[in-house]
Amino acid sequence: MILQLRVKSSSGHDLKPIAAVESVSCCASSRPFPLSHSLRAIVNMENQGYPNFQARPPPSSSSPFASAPPPGVRPQSGGPETVGFRPPTRPFTPSAPPVAPPVGAMRPFQSPLVSQIPGQGIRPPPPPPSSNSFPSTTYGPPGGGSFQRFPTPPPPSGPPPPQTLAGHLSPPMSLRPQQPMGPPPQSMTSGVPGGYASPPPAPGFQQSMPPVNPSYPGVGGPPQPSFPGYPSNQVLQGPPSSYPPQTGGFAQHPGQQNMHPSYAPPTSTVQALAEDFNSLSLTNIPGSLEPGLDRASFPRPLDGDVEPNSFAEMYPMNCHSRYLRLTTSAIPSSQSLASRWHLPLGAVVCPLAEAPEGEEVPLIDFGSSGIIRCRRCRTYVNPYVTFTDSGRKWRCNICSMLNDVPGEYFSHLDATGRRMDMDQRPELTKGSVEIIAPTEYMVRPPMPPIYFFLIDVSFSAAKSGMLQVAAQTIKSCLDNLPGYPRTQIGFITYDSTLHFYNMKSSLSQPQMMVVSDLDDIFVPLPDDLLVNLSESRNVVEAFLDSLPLMFQNNVNVESAFGPALKAAYMVMNQLGGKLLIFQNSLPSLGAGRLKLRGEDPRVYGTDKEYTLRVAEDNFYKQMAADCTKFQIGINVYAFSDKYTDIASLGTLSKYTGGQVYYYPGFQSSIHGDKLRHELARDLTRETAWESVMRIRCGKGIRFSSYHGNFMLRSTDLLALPAVDCDKAYAMQLTLEETLLTTPTVYFQVALLYTASCGERRIRVHTAVAPVVTDLGEMYRQADTGSIVSVYTRLAIEKTLSGKLDDARNVIQQKIVKALREYRNLHSVQHRLGSRLIYPESLKFLPLYGLAICKSTPLQGGPADASLDERCAAGFTMMSLPVKKLLKLLYPNVFRVDEWLLKPSADLDDLKDVLKRLPLAAENLDSRGLYIYDDGFRLVLWFGRMLSPDIAKNLLGADFAAELSRVTLQEQENGMSKKLMRLIKKVRENDQSYHPMCFLVRQGEQPREGFLFLRYLIEDQMGGSTSYVDWILQIHRHVQQNA
Amino acid sequence: MVKMTLIARVTDGLPLAEGLDDGRDLPDSDMYKQQVKALFKNLSRGHNEASRMSVETGPYVFHYIIEGRVCYLTMCDRSYPKKLAFQYLEDLRNEFERVNGPNIETAARPYAFIKFDTFIQKTKKLYQDTRTQRNISKLNDELYEVHQIMTRNVQEVLGVGEKLDQVSEMSSRLTSESRIYADKAKDLNRQALIRKWAPVAIVLGVVFLLFWVKNKLW
Repeated sequence: MILQLRVKSSSGHDLKPIAAVESVSCCASSRPFPLSHSLRAIVNMENQGYPNFQARPPPSSSSPFASAPPPGVRPQSGGPETVGFRPPTRPFTPSAPPVAPPVGAMRPFQSPLVSQIPGQGIRPPPPPPSSNSFPSTTYGPPGGGSFQRFPTPPPPSGPPPPQTLAGHLSPPMSLRPQQPMGPPPQSMTSGVPGGYASPPPAPGFQQSMPPVNPSYPGVGGPPQPSFPGYPSNQVLQGPPSSYPPQTGGFAQHPGQQNMHPSYAPPTSTVQALAEDFNSLSLTNIPGSLEPGLDRASFPRPLDGDVEPNSFAEMYPMNCHSRYLRLTTSAIPSSQSLASRWHLPLGAVVCPLAEAPEGEEVPLIDFGSSGIIRCRRCRTYVNPYVTFTDSGRKWRCNICSMLNDVPGEYFSHLDATGRRMDMDQRPELTKGSVEIIAPTEYMVRPPMPPIYFFLIDVSFSAAKSGMLQVAAQTIKSCLDNLPGYPRTQIGFITYDSTLHFYNMKSSLSQPQMMVVSDLDDIFVPLPDDLLVNLSESRNVVEAFLDSLPLMFQNNVNVESAFGPALKAAYMVMNQLGGKLLIFQNSLPSLGAGRLKLRGEDPRVYGTDKEYTLRVAEDNFYKQMAADCTKFQIGINVYAFSDKYTDIASLGTLSKYTGGQVYYYPGFQSSIHGDKLRHELARDLTRETAWESVMRIRCGKGIRFSSYHGNFMLRSTDLLALPAVDCDKAYAMQLTLEETLLTTPTVYFQVALLYTASCGERRIRVHTAVAPVVTDLGEMYRQADTGSIVSVYTRLAIEKTLSGKLDDARNVIQQKIVKALREYRNLHSVQHRLGSRLIYPESLKFLPLYGLAICKSTPLQGGPADASLDERCAAGFTMMSLPVKKLLKLLYPNVFRVDEWLLKPSADLDDLKDVLKRLPLAAENLDSRGLYIYDDGFRLVLWFGRMLSPDIAKNLLGADFAAELSRVTLQEQENGMSKKLMRLIKKVRENDQSYHPMCFLVRQGEQPREGFLFLRYLIEDQMGGSTSYVDWILQIHRHVQQNA
Repeated sequence: MVKMTLIARVTDGLPLAEGLDDGRDLPDSDMYKQQVKALFKNLSRGHNEASRMSVETGPYVFHYIIEGRVCYLTMCDRSYPKKLAFQYLEDLRNEFERVNGPNIETAARPYAFIKFDTFIQKTKKLYQDTRTQRNISKLNDELYEVHQIMTRNVQEVLGVGEKLDQVSEMSSRLTSESRIYADKAKDLNRQALIRKWAPVAIVLGVVFLLFWVKNKLW
């Protein structure tokens, strides 16, 4: 220790010593340490004396110590402090303890002063944060907050340091001299930066002086003499720029010293600080839940998903969170830290998320210079690369490789090292760009959009009206299929035989060819089964017009699904494309024939339970693998009211990046609209063809597992034959190195695809996250939405290899572990007693965990949901983007009758009027009319005592009838129109699925139960737990072994 | 029968359009595509000025025409009539120039005119069967003369660039070596001169010396 100190005092810029001291002296040092953010971490550390704390430099960030202890606590900090000091000393020699505290304490002062003076003298106004140096910008602002927080001045009472230290200690003394020195030490040059955002230190400084001085004497007369010599040294020291690597986020951050000023004000300002601190938005105040408290105080995500935006502000060049969401925006610096983070560490990527008007991803053509990529790690050029050597080289932000800048791309740098042409280069300023790919990125010319339909025309298809609706919808979408005029289209229908259709453009009517040999499938025509839509438009329309009629009297109930799939594959495998399968019954003939299985309650609860949820026949997985290889994406539409083994059929979608749509018991009068809308959406949304996706990240970490619907082509390459805006993929990270030495980690998602217009493009999303050494910071930056998304996928995957119960338990255990770790983090400092504490950022996690356990794929036992429903929901949830998933897990319920009665109410004030309610029956008033909306279904719940006028207005003459037979139609009155407009608006808000509208009256069993009550997840239903019980359970588990 | 069709810009070899399902039931279509690409590269370097040429490769033949800085190339069976193949390319050219003429020079991305593939597809079908009346009449039509179109082997063509490089390398080596030769010759010449006249000079020198000594002494 001594040694280190010495170094510090003498070696101007080298920050290392400082850091070393800090780590050594633990809390003492950390407290003083200027980095504002560190405060919180420090506090934690103090209390706990965690082992890792050594590494803990000043990492973290801005967020204030969320735990916001009650004001009363703050004064105490002095007390804890002494406690805290101990731990640090451990590393040292036994004798050290007394020494350590003083040193630490002093340190802060000195450094702050130094830095502060220069800074102010030279450039009084806070410099604008430079965009490139994230640390400075990031942390700067918090500095202000921290400044206030800095609670304790060096304890005057501290034991006098041993003589040897005196020299080192002297730095603190420099405080005085500094004022004179104000004019600036040259050394400051290194990093003026953002740190300055913090409040002007001067005033605080002055105040602080008095307290400081007194304290010093105690510390050591000896230092005084040395004092005069110091100034110069100190000044130099102030700006040291290189922290030891372990310091995490802060390492090498030039702006750091700037933060110091904030500490200057010691005790006197503490109180003021407290307020400031509370006001910070990021605070993660451990909430408390007293068992038995009123449920209303439980956290509920009634405002919907909260996007993590703290880092979006700090790193404005990151891609938008709709494309990439990390489970925590703070990456742990070491494996040991990562292992204490029991929540998933990873990301959810939605590469083609729909961007609102005006925020479209810019399209870039690099032209003759080719795409600029790192030679070693193949990273695409992005806003975080740095240009050096007067613009002739650039340094890759991910692997730090120095690359040459091609001549065509060269640009001079200005004085600050920015490229002059920055403004014209979106790829250097935006986190998301789209690049036009040159020939090297094509193995073949860009494929045209291809839609191939495989339609089951057996008895039930015609009877349910599915054929009619599907044919009409396809016909109405012909004009809107993407990719005109290259779009290709083709059809095969099947029952016990296969029917091919020759759509040659010169024909006036399609020719039908029947193949009945199911064992040896062949394609009767080489061409013209898959035709260019614009050329054969008339034939295609004629076919679609006649399709429902052709089979309306079909009495064949067999389904040769497997052979039909093979035939479709043979037709499509030249080019690939999208295959839409309309399946009405269980495949019964030829390869891939499936048995009636499942629905056998005896299997539930045994170890074989999961086999029901995975494909029975290897045929399906094999076909899916082949299809992916030839760029065929499969969407399955299933309509049967009986068991159709969605588990097997869905496998096709799962491995080809597709989707499963399930309409149990399809009736065109009821489900027609839904199918119409969803099929139209599927056909007309912008789709990326023959794509592959890869996500790269900095050295030392690696994406180890991927979750979603896709095929993994190599260890980290996702093959996605057809991908669109409604698909998201989750992935988990692991640390490969024990210690990350970089201050930040970069992520880059690259999706190489063919746009419908025939352009090959690369969509690149880049984001950065700081590396931290503090667990608390990780919690603070956690993103519930993406954590829940990863959990959901993990749980669903778990159901494919284990029991439902196990999957649910896993979720609960994971949440418990995470909360326990968090509790340990704070248990010393707060008298927690029987409170459940959780970080602000994760306040909804327990509730969402409960929601996952009660979601269709995981809920209850065999009786709660049919096997097909479960599997279909599972496949759907595996690919849902974060926002939609959260809405499905915790649906909206709002009351509308009052709003409907208000005469003037307009749709504009929807947000104000329609407040989301907690999902518990106790919140429903039997005099009200409620709408439940989970993105897939709308349920109108009529209270028992709802005024008959309203019901009459809305339902017309049927208002008293049984609601299962009534469909909601617009009536000739304002109220009904208003409601229909509202429903329309709700549907328009989210186009990806078409929520069907169900009407249900209170007390109408059993419909009310399975349509509505079952989804009030906060209530206890059957064997499931209520929210209160769930919280209590978690709490109990957390406290065990806590 | 037409196996594949490609259209590329001659100036830089940038592919502009390509037939849709090229390479269907062609086991080694990738290899042929590589050859085509190499061919385009050669063309862009200015070799093979001939605007119409047939190039044999394995069991197939590449036929290409270059018009307006665009190269239209097709790969056919050897047995496929040359005349029809060039007719096919002419058809493509007419349509391509009509549709995309003004934009060809400014196209920046590969396959900028990929939409043309539907036309390629359509036209290809017309030429698929050599025995249709339409094609037979074309074959008999003497207006279109293909006899003088050169046929070469693909190795030759692709090798041309290489050989030219060799030649130029050899000639440059020749130049430098001849220069050395000239220097050496000059040197030798001088030495020969010295050798020839040195004895005489020495004798004369001695004589003069003797004379001088004699005069001095006496």
